[in-house]
Amino acid sequence: MKGLPLPVAEQLQALIYRERALAYLLIDDAQKLIGAGGHLDVYGLTNLRIGEPAVEQAFFLEGLLPPDETAFIVPSIEVVGGRVADLHLLREADTLWVVLLEVTAERDAARRMQQKAYDMTLAQEREAQLNRQLQAANSALLATQHDLETSRAALIRSHNEVQAQAAELAAWNKTLEERVAAQVAEIERMARLKRFFAPSLAELIVSSGNEQILESHRRDIAVLFCDLRGFTAFSESAEPEEVMAVLRDYHAALVPLIQTFEGTLDRFVGDGLMVYFNDPLPCPNPVDRAVGLAVAMRDAMAALSRTWRRHGHQIGFGIGIAQGFATLGQIGFEGRFDYSAIGTVINTAARLCDAAKDGQILVTSRVAAAVAETAEVRELGPLTLKGLSRPLAVCNVEALKVA
Amino acid sequence: MIPTLQKKICMLGGFSVGKTSLVRRFVESVFSETYLTTVGVKIDKKTVALPDRTVTLILWDLAGEDDIGSLRMSYLRGAAGYVLVADGTRPATLEVAVSLRRRVEADSGPLPFVLLVNKSDLEDQWAVRDAEIADLRHSGWWVDSSSARTGEGVEDAFSAIAMRVAR
Repeated sequence: MKGLPLPVAEQLQALIYRERALAYLLIDDAQKLIGAGGHLDVYGLTNLRIGEPAVEQAFFLEGLLPPDETAFIVPSIEVVGGRVADLHLLREADTLWVVLLEVTAERDAARRMQQKAYDMTLAQEREAQLNRQLQAANSALLATQHDLETSRAALIRSHNEVQAQAAELAAWNKTLEERVAAQVAEIERMARLKRFFAPSLAELIVSSGNEQILESHRRDIAVLFCDLRGFTAFSESAEPEEVMAVLRDYHAALVPLIQTFEGTLDRFVGDGLMVYFNDPLPCPNPVDRAVGLAVAMRDAMAALSRTWRRHGHQIGFGIGIAQGFATLGQIGFEGRFDYSAIGTVINTAARLCDAAKDGQILVTSRVAAAVAETAEVRELGPLTLKGLSRPLAVCNVEALKVA
Repeated sequence: MIPTLQKKICMLGGFSVGKTSLVRRFVESVFSETYLTTVGVKIDKKTVALPDRTVTLILWDLAGEDDIGSLRMSYLRGAAGYVLVADGTRPATLEVAVSLRRRVEADSGPLPFVLLVNKSDLEDQWAVRDAEIADLRHSGWWVDSSSARTGEGVEDAFSAIAMRVAR
Protein backbone atom coordinates (compact mmCIF):
# COMPACT_ATOMS: atom_id res chain seq x y z
CA MET A 1 0.00 0.00 0.00
CA LYS A 2 2.27 2.71 -1.29
CA GLY A 3 1.42 6.26 -0.26
CA LEU A 4 -0.45 5.12 2.82
CA PRO A 5 0.96 5.05 6.27
CA LEU A 6 1.50 1.44 7.37
CA PRO A 7 -1.11 1.46 10.17
CA VAL A 8 -3.78 2.78 7.78
CA ALA A 9 -2.82 0.32 5.08
CA GLU A 10 -2.90 -2.58 7.54
CA GLN A 11 -6.27 -1.41 8.93
CA LEU A 12 -7.65 -1.12 5.41
CA GLN A 13 -6.37 -4.57 4.48
CA ALA A 14 -7.96 -6.03 7.59
CA LEU A 15 -11.22 -4.24 6.75
CA ILE A 16 -11.28 -5.50 3.20
CA TYR A 17 -10.41 -8.99 4.28
CA ARG A 18 -13.20 -8.99 6.85
CA GLU A 19 -15.91 -6.97 5.15
CA ARG A 20 -15.39 -7.94 1.50
CA ALA A 21 -14.98 -11.69 2.14
CA LEU A 22 -11.64 -11.82 0.42
CA ALA A 23 -10.48 -15.21 -0.79
CA TYR A 24 -7.69 -16.32 -3.08
CA LEU A 25 -6.35 -19.24 -5.04
CA LEU A 26 -2.80 -19.65 -6.25
CA ILE A 27 -2.29 -21.58 -9.46
CA ASP A 28 0.89 -22.68 -11.16
CA ASP A 29 1.84 -22.86 -14.81
CA ALA A 30 0.36 -26.34 -15.11
CA GLN A 31 -2.93 -24.83 -13.89
CA LYS A 32 -2.76 -26.81 -10.70
CA LEU A 33 -3.72 -25.40 -7.35
CA ILE A 34 -0.72 -24.65 -5.28
CA GLY A 35 -2.27 -22.52 -2.59
CA ALA A 36 -5.52 -21.03 -1.23
CA GLY A 37 -6.72 -18.82 1.58
CA GLY A 38 -9.26 -16.32 2.91
CA HIS A 39 -13.03 -16.77 3.05
CA LEU A 40 -13.04 -19.67 0.58
CA ASP A 41 -16.18 -21.25 2.06
CA VAL A 42 -18.21 -18.11 1.20
CA TYR A 43 -17.71 -19.04 -2.47
CA GLY A 44 -18.21 -22.77 -2.00
CA LEU A 45 -14.51 -23.49 -2.35
CA THR A 46 -14.17 -26.28 0.16
CA ASN A 47 -12.14 -29.50 0.27
CA LEU A 48 -9.55 -28.01 -2.03
CA ARG A 49 -6.81 -30.36 -3.09
CA ILE A 50 -3.39 -28.82 -3.48
CA GLY A 51 -1.59 -30.15 -6.54
CA GLU A 52 -4.80 -31.01 -8.39
CA PRO A 53 -6.09 -29.12 -11.50
CA ALA A 54 -7.62 -25.80 -10.39
CA VAL A 55 -10.43 -25.75 -12.98
CA GLU A 56 -11.86 -29.02 -11.67
CA GLN A 57 -12.13 -27.48 -8.20
CA ALA A 58 -13.18 -23.95 -9.12
CA PHE A 59 -15.41 -24.52 -12.13
CA PHE A 60 -15.95 -20.80 -12.72
CA LEU A 61 -12.36 -20.72 -13.99
CA GLU A 62 -13.33 -22.87 -17.01
CA GLY A 63 -12.16 -21.13 -20.16
CA LEU A 64 -10.33 -18.39 -18.28
CA LEU A 65 -6.99 -20.11 -17.88
CA PRO A 66 -4.43 -19.08 -18.73
CA PRO A 67 -5.32 -15.38 -18.99
CA ASP A 68 -3.73 -13.42 -21.80
CA GLU A 69 -3.19 -10.35 -19.68
CA THR A 70 -1.23 -9.82 -16.47
CA ALA A 71 -4.36 -8.59 -14.74
CA PHE A 72 -7.88 -9.50 -15.75
CA ILE A 73 -11.14 -8.82 -13.93
CA VAL A 74 -14.43 -10.56 -14.35
CA PRO A 75 -16.84 -8.38 -12.46
CA SER A 76 -19.77 -9.45 -10.34
CA ILE A 77 -19.92 -13.22 -10.56
CA GLU A 78 -22.31 -15.21 -8.43
CA VAL A 79 -21.15 -18.73 -7.86
CA VAL A 80 -23.06 -20.29 -4.98
CA GLY A 81 -25.30 -19.16 -2.18
CA GLY A 82 -26.07 -15.74 -3.55
CA ARG A 83 -22.67 -14.25 -2.69
CA VAL A 84 -21.24 -12.14 -5.45
CA ALA A 85 -17.60 -11.28 -6.07
CA ASP A 86 -15.39 -9.55 -8.54
CA LEU A 87 -12.95 -12.09 -9.88
CA HIS A 88 -9.41 -10.76 -10.20
CA LEU A 89 -6.80 -12.78 -12.11
CA LEU A 90 -3.27 -11.51 -11.46
CA ARG A 91 -0.24 -13.17 -13.04
CA GLU A 92 3.00 -13.03 -11.15
CA ALA A 93 5.99 -14.80 -12.70
CA ASP A 94 4.95 -18.48 -13.13
CA THR A 95 1.97 -18.27 -10.85
CA LEU A 96 -1.53 -16.92 -11.12
CA TRP A 97 -3.41 -15.32 -8.27
CA VAL A 98 -7.15 -15.66 -8.40
CA VAL A 99 -8.69 -13.20 -5.95
CA LEU A 100 -12.37 -13.03 -5.11
CA LEU A 101 -13.56 -9.78 -3.59
CA GLU A 102 -17.15 -9.69 -2.52
CA VAL A 103 -19.49 -7.13 -4.13
CA THR A 104 -22.82 -8.57 -3.07
CA ALA A 105 -24.03 -5.30 -1.56
CA GLU A 106 -23.09 -3.35 -4.67
CA ARG A 107 -24.65 -6.00 -6.87
CA ASP A 108 -27.87 -5.89 -4.82
CA ALA A 109 -27.97 -2.10 -5.00
CA ALA A 110 -27.37 -2.17 -8.74
CA ARG A 111 -29.98 -4.91 -9.12
CA ARG A 112 -32.60 -2.89 -7.28
CA MET A 113 -32.12 0.00 -9.67
CA GLN A 114 -31.91 -2.22 -12.69
CA GLN A 115 -34.99 -4.14 -11.59
CA LYS A 116 -37.01 -0.94 -11.34
CA ALA A 117 -35.85 0.21 -14.73
CA TYR A 118 -36.61 -3.15 -16.36
CA ASP A 119 -39.93 -3.51 -14.56
CA MET A 120 -40.89 -0.10 -15.88
CA THR A 121 -39.71 -0.89 -19.39
CA LEU A 122 -41.56 -4.21 -19.31
CA ALA A 123 -44.70 -2.50 -18.07
CA GLN A 124 -44.41 0.04 -20.87
CA GLU A 125 -43.81 -2.68 -23.43
CA ARG A 126 -46.74 -4.65 -22.08
CA GLU A 127 -48.90 -1.54 -22.12
CA ALA A 128 -47.87 -0.81 -25.69
CA GLN A 129 -48.59 -4.42 -26.65
CA LEU A 130 -51.97 -4.30 -24.92
CA ASN A 131 -52.68 -1.01 -26.65
CA ARG A 132 -51.83 -2.59 -30.00
CA GLN A 133 -54.05 -5.56 -29.20
CA LEU A 134 -56.77 -3.17 -28.07
CA GLN A 135 -56.43 -1.14 -31.24
CA ALA A 136 -56.48 -4.29 -33.36
CA ALA A 137 -59.54 -5.52 -31.45
CA ASN A 138 -61.10 -2.09 -31.81
CA SER A 139 -60.39 -2.03 -35.55
CA ALA A 140 -61.81 -5.53 -35.88
CA LEU A 141 -64.83 -4.44 -33.88
CA LEU A 142 -65.29 -1.37 -36.07
CA ALA A 143 -64.95 -3.50 -39.18
CA THR A 144 -67.48 -5.96 -37.78
CA GLN A 145 -69.77 -3.08 -36.85
CA HIS A 146 -69.40 -1.68 -40.34
CA ASP A 147 -70.15 -5.12 -41.82
CA LEU A 148 -73.13 -5.44 -39.53
CA GLU A 149 -74.42 -2.02 -40.52
CA THR A 150 -73.94 -2.89 -44.18
CA SER A 151 -75.74 -6.19 -43.65
CA ARG A 152 -78.47 -4.43 -41.71
CA ALA A 153 -78.91 -1.84 -44.45
CA ALA A 154 -79.00 -4.63 -47.03
CA LEU A 155 -81.53 -6.49 -44.91
CA ILE A 156 -83.70 -3.40 -44.56
CA ARG A 157 -83.44 -2.86 -48.32
CA SER A 158 -84.39 -6.47 -48.97
CA HIS A 159 -87.20 -6.22 -46.44
CA ASN A 160 -88.52 -3.05 -48.07
CA GLU A 161 -88.22 -4.61 -51.49
CA VAL A 162 -90.10 -7.68 -50.30
CA GLN A 163 -92.75 -5.44 -48.70
CA ALA A 164 -93.04 -3.41 -51.89
CA GLN A 165 -93.25 -6.59 -53.95
CA ALA A 166 -95.86 -7.99 -51.57
CA ALA A 167 -97.87 -4.77 -51.87
CA GLU A 168 -97.46 -4.85 -55.63
CA LEU A 169 -98.49 -8.48 -55.65
CA ALA A 170 -101.54 -7.70 -53.51
CA ALA A 171 -102.41 -4.86 -55.89
CA TRP A 172 -101.97 -7.17 -58.84
CA ASN A 173 -104.11 -9.77 -57.14
CA LYS A 174 -106.80 -7.20 -56.53
CA THR A 175 -106.58 -5.98 -60.11
CA LEU A 176 -106.62 -9.57 -61.29
CA GLU A 177 -109.65 -10.37 -59.17
CA GLU A 178 -111.37 -7.29 -60.49
CA ARG A 179 -110.42 -8.22 -64.02
CA VAL A 180 -111.63 -11.76 -63.53
CA ALA A 181 -114.88 -10.48 -62.06
CA ALA A 182 -115.21 -7.98 -64.91
CA GLN A 183 -114.43 -10.65 -67.46
CA VAL A 184 -116.87 -13.09 -65.90
CA ALA A 185 -119.50 -10.35 -65.98
CA GLU A 186 -118.53 -9.55 -69.55
CA ILE A 187 -118.72 -13.21 -70.55
CA GLU A 188 -122.16 -13.42 -68.99
CA ARG A 189 -123.29 -10.27 -70.75
CA MET A 190 -121.71 -11.47 -73.94
CA ALA A 191 -123.52 -14.78 -73.72
CA ARG A 192 -126.74 -12.88 -73.28
CA LEU A 193 -126.04 -10.44 -76.07
CA LYS A 194 -124.82 -13.07 -78.51
CA ARG A 195 -128.29 -14.45 -78.57
CA PHE A 196 -129.37 -11.25 -80.30
CA PHE A 197 -126.40 -9.89 -82.15
CA ALA A 198 -123.50 -10.85 -84.34
CA PRO A 199 -120.55 -11.74 -82.05
CA SER A 200 -118.56 -8.67 -83.14
CA LEU A 201 -121.57 -6.51 -82.35
CA ALA A 202 -122.08 -8.18 -79.01
CA GLU A 203 -118.44 -7.52 -78.13
CA LEU A 204 -118.87 -3.93 -79.22
CA ILE A 205 -121.85 -3.49 -76.93
CA VAL A 206 -120.02 -5.09 -74.05
CA SER A 207 -116.90 -3.03 -74.55
CA SER A 208 -118.99 0.16 -74.76
CA GLY A 209 -120.37 -0.84 -71.36
CA ASN A 210 -123.74 0.59 -72.30
CA GLU A 211 -126.60 -1.82 -72.05
CA GLN A 212 -129.17 0.95 -72.17
CA ILE A 213 -128.93 0.32 -75.86
CA LEU A 214 -131.24 -2.65 -75.25
CA GLU A 215 -134.03 -0.46 -74.00
CA SER A 216 -136.91 0.32 -76.32
CA HIS A 217 -136.11 3.05 -78.89
CA ARG A 218 -136.81 4.17 -82.45
CA ARG A 219 -134.21 4.17 -85.20
CA ASP A 220 -133.87 4.32 -88.94
CA ILE A 221 -132.70 0.88 -89.97
CA ALA A 222 -132.17 -1.18 -93.11
CA VAL A 223 -133.98 -4.50 -92.89
CA LEU A 224 -133.18 -7.61 -94.93
CA PHE A 225 -135.44 -10.61 -95.17
CA CYS A 226 -134.53 -13.74 -97.07
CA ASP A 227 -135.85 -17.26 -97.45
CA LEU A 228 -135.82 -20.25 -99.75
CA ARG A 229 -138.08 -20.69 -102.76
CA GLY A 230 -139.73 -24.08 -102.94
CA PHE A 231 -138.69 -25.00 -99.44
CA THR A 232 -142.20 -25.81 -98.26
CA ALA A 233 -142.72 -28.27 -101.14
CA PHE A 234 -139.26 -29.73 -100.54
CA SER A 235 -139.85 -30.20 -96.82
CA GLU A 236 -143.15 -31.92 -97.46
CA SER A 237 -141.57 -34.45 -99.82
CA ALA A 238 -138.14 -34.90 -98.28
CA GLU A 239 -137.10 -36.85 -95.20
CA PRO A 240 -136.73 -34.69 -92.08
CA GLU A 241 -133.01 -35.54 -91.98
CA GLU A 242 -132.61 -34.19 -95.52
CA VAL A 243 -134.56 -31.06 -94.57
CA MET A 244 -132.33 -30.55 -91.57
CA ALA A 245 -129.20 -31.10 -93.69
CA VAL A 246 -130.37 -28.48 -96.22
CA LEU A 247 -131.10 -25.98 -93.43
CA ARG A 248 -127.72 -26.68 -91.86
CA ASP A 249 -125.94 -25.97 -95.17
CA TYR A 250 -128.10 -22.90 -95.71
CA HIS A 251 -127.39 -21.39 -92.28
CA ALA A 252 -123.73 -22.34 -92.47
CA ALA A 253 -123.45 -20.43 -95.75
CA LEU A 254 -125.33 -17.30 -94.65
CA VAL A 255 -124.63 -16.70 -90.94
CA PRO A 256 -120.89 -16.04 -91.43
CA LEU A 257 -121.79 -13.48 -94.10
CA ILE A 258 -124.15 -11.69 -91.70
CA GLN A 259 -121.31 -11.52 -89.22
CA THR A 260 -118.91 -10.27 -91.86
CA PHE A 261 -121.24 -7.42 -92.76
CA GLU A 262 -121.95 -6.81 -89.05
CA GLY A 263 -125.64 -7.24 -89.44
CA THR A 264 -127.90 -7.87 -86.47
CA LEU A 265 -129.46 -11.31 -86.88
CA ASP A 266 -132.94 -10.85 -85.51
CA ARG A 267 -134.28 -14.34 -85.92
CA PHE A 268 -134.44 -17.63 -87.78
CA VAL A 269 -137.85 -18.85 -88.72
CA GLY A 270 -137.45 -22.11 -90.59
CA ASP A 271 -135.86 -21.09 -93.85
CA GLY A 272 -136.46 -17.40 -93.23
CA LEU A 273 -133.88 -15.00 -91.81
CA MET A 274 -134.31 -11.41 -90.66
CA VAL A 275 -131.26 -9.14 -90.48
CA TYR A 276 -131.08 -5.41 -89.92
CA PHE A 277 -128.40 -2.72 -89.86
CA ASN A 278 -127.78 0.46 -87.79
CA ASP A 279 -128.99 -1.07 -84.57
CA PRO A 280 -128.32 -1.64 -81.75
CA LEU A 281 -125.09 0.19 -82.64
CA PRO A 282 -125.19 2.78 -85.36
CA CYS A 283 -123.15 2.00 -88.45
CA PRO A 284 -122.28 4.02 -91.54
CA ASN A 285 -124.15 3.24 -94.74
CA PRO A 286 -126.57 0.66 -93.35
CA VAL A 287 -128.37 0.36 -96.71
CA ASP A 288 -125.13 -0.26 -98.60
CA ARG A 289 -124.29 -2.96 -96.09
CA ALA A 290 -127.68 -4.56 -96.41
CA VAL A 291 -127.42 -4.59 -100.23
CA GLY A 292 -123.81 -5.80 -100.05
CA LEU A 293 -124.87 -8.62 -97.74
CA ALA A 294 -127.78 -9.49 -100.04
CA VAL A 295 -125.53 -9.79 -103.07
CA ALA A 296 -123.03 -11.90 -101.10
CA MET A 297 -125.91 -14.11 -99.91
CA ARG A 298 -127.24 -14.52 -103.45
CA ASP A 299 -123.79 -15.53 -104.70
CA ALA A 300 -123.34 -18.02 -101.89
CA MET A 301 -126.80 -19.45 -102.45
CA ALA A 302 -126.25 -19.76 -106.22
CA ALA A 303 -123.38 -22.16 -105.50
CA LEU A 304 -125.38 -24.01 -102.87
CA SER A 305 -128.46 -24.28 -105.15
CA ARG A 306 -126.35 -25.99 -107.79
CA THR A 307 -125.28 -28.59 -105.25
CA TRP A 308 -128.86 -29.08 -104.11
CA ARG A 309 -130.04 -29.42 -107.66
CA ARG A 310 -127.50 -32.20 -108.20
CA HIS A 311 -129.23 -33.93 -105.30
CA GLY A 312 -132.59 -33.33 -106.97
CA HIS A 313 -133.74 -30.52 -104.73
CA GLN A 314 -135.33 -27.63 -106.62
CA ILE A 315 -134.74 -24.89 -104.10
CA GLY A 316 -134.35 -21.19 -104.90
CA PHE A 317 -133.53 -18.11 -102.83
CA GLY A 318 -135.08 -14.63 -102.59
CA ILE A 319 -134.32 -11.45 -100.65
CA GLY A 320 -136.22 -8.32 -99.72
CA ILE A 321 -134.75 -5.09 -98.35
CA ALA A 322 -136.46 -2.01 -96.95
CA GLN A 323 -135.34 1.04 -95.04
CA GLY A 324 -137.20 3.13 -92.45
CA PHE A 325 -137.85 3.80 -88.77
CA ALA A 326 -138.69 0.93 -86.45
CA THR A 327 -139.12 0.47 -82.73
CA LEU A 328 -136.37 -1.71 -81.29
CA GLY A 329 -135.57 -3.17 -77.91
CA GLN A 330 -135.99 -6.09 -75.58
CA ILE A 331 -139.25 -7.92 -75.89
CA GLY A 332 -140.38 -10.67 -73.59
CA PHE A 333 -140.26 -11.39 -69.87
CA GLU A 334 -137.73 -12.40 -67.24
CA GLY A 335 -136.04 -15.62 -68.36
CA ARG A 336 -137.06 -15.24 -71.94
CA PHE A 337 -136.06 -11.90 -73.45
CA ASP A 338 -135.54 -11.26 -77.16
CA TYR A 339 -134.25 -8.20 -78.90
CA SER A 340 -136.42 -7.35 -81.84
CA ALA A 341 -137.67 -4.70 -84.20
CA ILE A 342 -141.25 -3.77 -84.88
CA GLY A 343 -142.59 -1.48 -87.57
CA THR A 344 -143.83 -1.13 -91.15
CA VAL A 345 -140.31 -1.34 -92.49
CA ILE A 346 -140.11 -4.90 -91.17
CA ASN A 347 -143.34 -5.89 -92.87
CA THR A 348 -142.27 -4.20 -96.11
CA ALA A 349 -138.98 -6.08 -96.19
CA ALA A 350 -140.78 -9.34 -95.39
CA ARG A 351 -143.32 -8.78 -98.17
CA LEU A 352 -140.60 -7.88 -100.67
CA CYS A 353 -138.87 -11.11 -99.74
CA ASP A 354 -142.10 -13.04 -100.27
CA ALA A 355 -142.44 -11.44 -103.71
CA ALA A 356 -138.87 -12.06 -104.80
CA LYS A 357 -138.27 -14.83 -107.26
CA ASP A 358 -135.26 -17.10 -107.11
CA GLY A 359 -132.16 -14.95 -107.33
CA GLN A 360 -134.00 -11.65 -106.91
CA ILE A 361 -133.12 -8.95 -104.38
CA LEU A 362 -136.17 -6.76 -104.20
CA VAL A 363 -135.74 -3.37 -102.63
CA THR A 364 -137.88 -0.28 -102.11
CA SER A 365 -137.25 2.74 -104.31
CA ARG A 366 -135.74 4.50 -101.30
CA VAL A 367 -133.19 1.70 -100.91
CA ALA A 368 -132.52 1.71 -104.64
CA ALA A 369 -131.88 5.45 -104.55
CA ALA A 370 -129.52 5.04 -101.59
CA VAL A 371 -127.36 2.49 -103.41
CA ALA A 372 -127.60 4.03 -106.87
CA GLU A 373 -123.88 4.69 -106.92
CA THR A 374 -122.76 1.32 -105.69
CA ALA A 375 -125.23 -1.08 -107.23
CA GLU A 376 -126.87 -1.71 -110.54
CA VAL A 377 -130.59 -1.64 -109.90
CA ARG A 378 -133.47 -2.30 -112.26
CA GLU A 379 -136.94 -0.91 -111.67
CA LEU A 380 -139.66 -3.51 -111.74
CA GLY A 381 -142.53 -1.04 -111.43
CA PRO A 382 -145.15 -0.89 -108.70
CA LEU A 383 -146.09 -4.14 -107.00
CA THR A 384 -149.05 -4.78 -104.80
CA LEU A 385 -147.77 -6.54 -101.78
CA LYS A 386 -149.78 -8.53 -99.30
CA GLY A 387 -150.67 -6.53 -96.20
CA LEU A 388 -149.85 -3.16 -97.81
CA SER A 389 -152.68 -0.89 -98.78
CA ARG A 390 -150.94 0.71 -101.79
CA PRO A 391 -148.76 -0.64 -104.58
CA LEU A 392 -145.05 -0.16 -103.92
CA ALA A 393 -142.32 0.90 -106.38
CA VAL A 394 -139.95 -2.05 -106.35
CA CYS A 395 -136.47 -2.54 -107.81
CA ASN A 396 -134.25 -5.53 -108.25
CA VAL A 397 -130.56 -5.35 -107.42
CA GLU A 398 -128.83 -6.91 -110.37
CA ALA A 399 -125.25 -6.57 -109.23
CA LEU A 400 -122.78 -4.39 -107.38
CA LYS A 401 -120.93 -1.87 -109.42
CA VAL A 402 -117.25 -2.52 -109.69
CA ALA A 403 -115.42 0.17 -107.75
CA MET B 1 -13.30 -44.49 -20.46
CA ILE B 2 -13.58 -41.09 -22.08
CA PRO B 3 -13.05 -38.32 -19.47
CA THR B 4 -15.89 -35.85 -18.83
CA LEU B 5 -15.58 -32.71 -20.88
CA GLN B 6 -16.17 -29.35 -19.20
CA LYS B 7 -17.38 -26.53 -21.44
CA LYS B 8 -18.28 -22.93 -20.76
CA ILE B 9 -21.59 -21.89 -22.28
CA CYS B 10 -22.93 -18.34 -22.12
CA MET B 11 -26.61 -17.52 -21.94
CA LEU B 12 -27.25 -14.43 -24.05
CA GLY B 13 -30.37 -12.43 -24.84
CA GLY B 14 -32.45 -9.38 -24.08
CA PHE B 15 -33.58 -8.66 -20.55
CA SER B 16 -36.46 -10.63 -19.10
CA VAL B 17 -36.50 -13.21 -21.89
CA GLY B 18 -36.05 -16.03 -19.36
CA LYS B 19 -32.33 -16.92 -19.44
CA THR B 20 -32.11 -17.38 -15.67
CA SER B 21 -35.39 -19.28 -15.64
CA LEU B 22 -34.18 -21.62 -18.39
CA VAL B 23 -30.97 -22.35 -16.44
CA ARG B 24 -32.93 -22.93 -13.22
CA ARG B 25 -35.36 -25.22 -15.05
CA PHE B 26 -32.42 -27.10 -16.59
CA VAL B 27 -30.18 -27.27 -13.50
CA GLU B 28 -32.68 -27.37 -10.63
CA SER B 29 -35.93 -28.39 -12.42
CA VAL B 30 -37.78 -25.46 -10.84
CA PHE B 31 -39.54 -22.38 -12.11
CA SER B 32 -40.39 -19.17 -10.29
CA GLU B 33 -42.98 -16.68 -11.49
CA THR B 34 -41.03 -13.87 -9.84
CA TYR B 35 -38.83 -11.93 -12.18
CA LEU B 36 -35.48 -11.03 -10.66
CA THR B 37 -33.07 -9.32 -12.98
CA THR B 38 -29.55 -10.64 -13.21
CA VAL B 39 -26.70 -8.23 -12.61
CA GLY B 40 -23.26 -9.39 -13.68
CA VAL B 41 -23.25 -13.13 -14.14
CA LYS B 42 -24.47 -16.17 -12.32
CA ILE B 43 -22.51 -19.33 -12.86
CA ASP B 44 -24.01 -22.82 -12.64
CA LYS B 45 -23.06 -26.22 -13.89
CA LYS B 46 -24.80 -29.33 -15.03
CA THR B 47 -23.58 -32.53 -16.56
CA VAL B 48 -25.31 -33.68 -19.72
CA ALA B 49 -25.13 -37.31 -20.87
CA LEU B 50 -24.64 -37.57 -24.59
CA PRO B 51 -24.84 -40.88 -26.46
CA ASP B 52 -21.08 -41.23 -26.60
CA ARG B 53 -19.85 -39.18 -23.62
CA THR B 54 -20.82 -36.80 -20.86
CA VAL B 55 -20.27 -33.07 -20.92
CA THR B 56 -20.34 -30.75 -17.92
CA LEU B 57 -21.75 -27.44 -18.99
CA ILE B 58 -20.52 -24.44 -17.03
CA LEU B 59 -23.40 -22.09 -17.60
CA TRP B 60 -22.69 -18.39 -17.48
CA ASP B 61 -26.04 -16.72 -17.12
CA LEU B 62 -25.27 -13.18 -18.23
CA ALA B 63 -27.22 -10.07 -17.37
CA GLY B 64 -29.85 -9.38 -19.96
CA GLU B 65 -29.37 -6.83 -22.64
CA ASP B 66 -31.29 -3.64 -22.95
CA ASP B 67 -28.70 -2.25 -25.26
CA ILE B 68 -26.39 -4.28 -27.46
CA GLY B 69 -23.43 -2.09 -26.63
CA SER B 70 -23.69 -3.02 -22.98
CA LEU B 71 -22.58 -6.63 -23.51
CA ARG B 72 -19.37 -7.20 -21.54
CA MET B 73 -17.29 -9.28 -23.86
CA SER B 74 -15.03 -10.25 -20.94
CA TYR B 75 -17.79 -12.62 -19.81
CA LEU B 76 -17.52 -14.50 -23.07
CA ARG B 77 -13.84 -15.21 -22.69
CA GLY B 78 -13.19 -18.91 -23.02
CA ALA B 79 -16.80 -19.76 -23.94
CA ALA B 80 -17.17 -22.92 -26.07
CA GLY B 81 -20.61 -21.96 -27.25
CA TYR B 82 -23.69 -19.99 -26.32
CA VAL B 83 -27.43 -20.15 -26.02
CA LEU B 84 -29.33 -17.23 -27.51
CA VAL B 85 -32.69 -16.62 -25.87
CA ALA B 86 -35.58 -14.52 -27.18
CA ASP B 87 -39.06 -13.92 -25.78
CA GLY B 88 -41.78 -15.15 -28.15
CA THR B 89 -44.19 -12.54 -26.80
CA ARG B 90 -41.78 -9.66 -27.60
CA PRO B 91 -40.62 -9.73 -31.23
CA ALA B 92 -37.98 -7.07 -30.56
CA THR B 93 -36.05 -9.57 -28.40
CA LEU B 94 -35.59 -11.78 -31.45
CA GLU B 95 -33.85 -8.91 -33.16
CA VAL B 96 -31.70 -8.45 -30.03
CA ALA B 97 -30.73 -12.14 -30.23
CA VAL B 98 -29.83 -11.84 -33.91
CA SER B 99 -27.72 -8.73 -33.18
CA LEU B 100 -25.98 -10.43 -30.24
CA ARG B 101 -25.03 -13.34 -32.41
CA ARG B 102 -23.51 -10.94 -34.94
CA ARG B 103 -21.64 -9.15 -32.15
CA VAL B 104 -20.27 -12.35 -30.62
CA GLU B 105 -19.20 -13.67 -34.00
CA ALA B 106 -17.38 -10.43 -34.77
CA ASP B 107 -15.60 -10.54 -31.44
CA SER B 108 -14.98 -14.25 -30.80
CA GLY B 109 -15.34 -15.81 -34.24
CA PRO B 110 -17.84 -18.53 -35.11
CA LEU B 111 -18.94 -20.45 -32.02
CA PRO B 112 -21.59 -23.14 -31.73
CA PHE B 113 -24.93 -21.73 -30.59
CA VAL B 114 -28.61 -22.50 -30.40
CA LEU B 115 -31.58 -20.12 -30.31
CA LEU B 116 -34.51 -20.60 -27.98
CA VAL B 117 -37.69 -18.59 -28.49
CA ASN B 118 -38.95 -18.80 -24.95
CA LYS B 119 -42.34 -18.48 -23.18
CA SER B 120 -44.16 -20.79 -25.59
CA ASP B 121 -46.72 -21.34 -22.82
CA LEU B 122 -48.02 -17.77 -23.34
CA GLU B 123 -49.88 -18.71 -26.52
CA ASP B 124 -52.35 -15.84 -26.38
CA GLN B 125 -49.54 -13.28 -26.25
CA TRP B 126 -47.26 -15.01 -28.79
CA ALA B 127 -46.11 -12.43 -31.31
CA VAL B 128 -43.14 -13.92 -33.15
CA ARG B 129 -44.17 -15.07 -36.61
CA ASP B 130 -43.49 -18.67 -37.65
CA ALA B 131 -42.04 -17.34 -40.89
CA GLU B 132 -39.27 -15.54 -39.01
CA ILE B 133 -38.27 -18.73 -37.21
CA ALA B 134 -38.47 -20.67 -40.46
CA ASP B 135 -36.18 -18.11 -42.14
CA LEU B 136 -33.57 -18.50 -39.39
CA ARG B 137 -33.77 -22.29 -39.67
CA HIS B 138 -33.27 -22.01 -43.43
CA SER B 139 -30.09 -20.05 -42.79
CA GLY B 140 -28.74 -23.01 -40.77
CA TRP B 141 -29.64 -21.98 -37.23
CA TRP B 142 -30.73 -24.48 -34.60
CA VAL B 143 -33.94 -22.81 -33.42
CA ASP B 144 -36.69 -24.07 -31.20
CA SER B 145 -39.40 -22.71 -28.98
CA SER B 146 -39.21 -23.36 -25.25
CA SER B 147 -40.97 -22.76 -21.99
CA ALA B 148 -39.08 -22.50 -18.73
CA ARG B 149 -42.47 -22.72 -17.02
CA THR B 150 -43.45 -26.08 -18.51
CA GLY B 151 -39.94 -27.28 -19.37
CA GLU B 152 -40.87 -27.71 -23.04
CA GLY B 153 -37.81 -27.69 -25.30
CA VAL B 154 -35.36 -26.97 -22.45
CA GLU B 155 -33.52 -30.32 -22.18
CA ASP B 156 -33.40 -30.62 -25.97
CA ALA B 157 -31.80 -27.22 -26.36
CA PHE B 158 -29.06 -27.83 -23.79
CA SER B 159 -28.42 -31.29 -25.24
CA ALA B 160 -28.15 -29.66 -28.66
CA ILE B 161 -25.57 -27.10 -27.51
CA ALA B 162 -23.71 -29.81 -25.54
CA MET B 163 -23.46 -31.93 -28.69
CA ARG B 164 -22.21 -28.98 -30.68
CA VAL B 165 -19.49 -27.96 -28.22
CA ALA B 166 -18.43 -31.58 -27.65
CA ARG B 167 -17.57 -32.17 -31.31
